[in-house]
Amino acid sequence: MTDSSQTDPNQTNSNQAQQLWQSQPVEDIKMSADVIRRRAGKFERRIFWRNLREYVSSLVAAVLFAYFFATTHALLFRIAYALFIAGLGWVVLQLHRKGSARSMPAAMGSLTCLQFFRAELVRQRDIVSNVWPWYLAPLVPGFVVLTVGYAVARPAGLAAAGWLDAVVAVLFLLVWKMNQRAARCLQRMIDELSAAENQPQSGGM
Amino acid sequence: MSAIETIPAAASTQDELYQDAARTFGAALERLARAYEADPEVRRDLLQDIHVALWRSFEGFDGRCSTRTWIYRVAHNVAASHVMQQRRTRSQALVGLEELENLPDAASGQPAAERSQALDRLLQLIQRLKPLDRHVILSYLEGLDAASIAEITGLSPGNVATKIHRIKAVLARQFQTRGTQP
Repeated sequence: MTDSSQTDPNQTNSNQAQQLWQSQPVEDIKMSADVIRRRAGKFERRIFWRNLREYVSSLVAAVLFAYFFATTHALLFRIAYALFIAGLGWVVLQLHRKGSARSMPAAMGSLTCLQFFRAELVRQRDIVSNVWPWYLAPLVPGFVVLTVGYAVARPAGLAAAGWLDAVVAVLFLLVWKMNQRAARCLQRMIDELSAAENQPQSGGM
Repeated sequence: MSAIETIPAAASTQDELYQDAARTFGAALERLARAYEADPEVRRDLLQDIHVALWRSFEGFDGRCSTRTWIYRVAHNVAASHVMQQRRTRSQALVGLEELENLPDAASGQPAAERSQALDRLLQLIQRLKPLDRHVILSYLEGLDAASIAEITGLSPGNVATKIHRIKAVLARQFQTRGTQP
């Protein structure tokens, strides 16, 4: 850095801070290439298990619906359970494609911090900004057919099915609202980054 | 150590590039991890993740930027991902440099008599910052100039200069000569 510390007290203090920072004791951790390779493999496995954990709840629900599908004789119920399984399959596929947990991109060093950070924020915003087509809507046909199935099979139970549908609708609305809020928060961070990039003398993140 | 050292041109393979990077910048990477994670256990994991990302990244290193820029970009980008993940579980809001200038200093008026105390204060200050400002202050503390910081972060040199000016003001306020004994 420039050596104007003789006259500028701010420079003197920040030089001292630089010296303090650079002279702090470190453990000097060494990792051989073999250790790194093993660690890289471990990292990939960690990502795999983390993703699997995300899918497990969907898989458990799918197995349950498959059991109901196999044991019920009413056609409409069987259609409803099949739709649920298909809907859950679609959700898991989208979760996998959108990659909520993923390994680090190898080209990380070719991106500036601004580019990388913004790309990550945009990716996360796109996931949460519109959860209807990939997360909520795929499950709606199953609920609709299940309600119709109840209406046909047991007209007396229609009110209960209606209540259940109402609870599910409220839950869906809450999920949607929470995701919209997260998307707005991420968008604000993206806007701050754009401002920091476009205004040479600005503050920003 | 001086962070502006460069890696010998002879290092060509992925493993060699990584080993040279670890040897030359190992201490800087450790300090960087310390600035992004206070918990020692989690910090060790973060540091190992940075090393793994660095090793992997050298597979695609094309020499379009200096190895130093490449290494700092990878390290800061891994650390920024870590901050984004931790943000969901930690309540403390991160602030920008300009907000840091206006915030009252908790230790104001108390001279940092001990070196370790001064370092703790510096770390606390850094850990409050948003990722991009954290990149800038860390690069500055490592002794990088504005042009190098701009190349690593993607900010314009003018913006980096403004941020460095703010950093100096914040450091001057927090680490007045009477208190700090580096």
